Amino acid sequence: MAEGSKRVLIVDDAGLVRRFHRDALGQGGFDVAEALNGVEAMEKVLAEPFDLLVVDVNMPQMDGISFLKALRRQEGPTGAVPVLIVSTEAGPQDVEAARAVGANFYLVKPVRPEVLVEHAALMCGGVR
Amino acid sequence: MPLIRKPPSGSLVPPPAPFDAAALSDGSSDVRWAAVRVAASRPDAVALLGGALARERDPRVREAIFSGLARIATEESAGIIVPYLRSEDASLRTGALDALHVMPAATAAYLPALVTDKDPDVRLLSCELARAQPAATANRLLCAVLDTDPEKNVCAAALDVLAETGGPEILASLNRCAQRFQDDPFLAFSIDVVRQQIGTQPASARE
Repeated sequence: MAEGSKRVLIVDDAGLVRRFHRDALGQGGFDVAEALNGVEAMEKVLAEPFDLLVVDVNMPQMDGISFLKALRRQEGPTGAVPVLIVSTEAGPQDVEAARAVGANFYLVKPVRPEVLVEHAALMCGGVR
Repeated sequence: MPLIRKPPSGSLVPPPAPFDAAALSDGSSDVRWAAVRVAASRPDAVALLGGALARERDPRVREAIFSGLARIATEESAGIIVPYLRSEDASLRTGALDALHVMPAATAAYLPALVTDKDPDVRLLSCELARAQPAATANRLLCAVLDTDPEKNVCAAALDVLAETGGPEILASLNRCAQRFQDDPFLAFSIDVVRQQIGTQPASARE
């Protein structure tokens, strides 16, 4: 990880998905942290700053949509951090539900590593 | 949404508390919530809780109903919850998934149909439910998914569970799945990870 790397939080209950996204983003020059669900993600974003959140929708304890609602109620930079939803839910109603609660972009799984890195870079202002 | 705790096993069952069924649908959300808590101690209240779940809009009361049905933990209470896996509302799907996850014995009868459901979203969530089943049951159900399911994401969900439950007996299904989805980098990565784990994990860790 290079000094000053953009910091990304991956929020997904599937261990293989977290590992795949972590490898892709890590090789893309990002500094990556992980959370297993919305509850854990909220604890992490309140404790430290992130440049981007990569969030699944279907997760135990707190789903991605509920997490995003709670996130956007936070004041300051925490509530404004860019969110990339990466979900198996591919219907237009799913994309709209995520957009309505403040998602900045939506990708449908499975996502190719280069596509994930490209979107993460764009959403972090073009800088890794 | 708080974690739903597993019902205690082997404890003495207190006599059913009296409750006002009308309070499940009338009054404030606090009244409904309190009524749900009482109803959850009565296995004969499953149908009433099911009706209340269909009407309820308050997330806290819904959560209490899911918890109550999970505490009752019968096939009937699981059957009330299963249709919510199809909900368009992510919080309802999550509530259903969490509740079914803590009542694996009650859910077991529904799994063979769920993992072959016509809706790939339901099949995907059902793979996660298999995680709570005994490893042999989970492996049998999920190997069939790897062998036949046409959706990459459903196979990926099955692999995520098999990474935890699988042993050498799943290798043939892993190979067949790898053949079916040769062009997908995520599935190739996941299958490699599971193969490696099977090769390095002691058998006792998977039982």
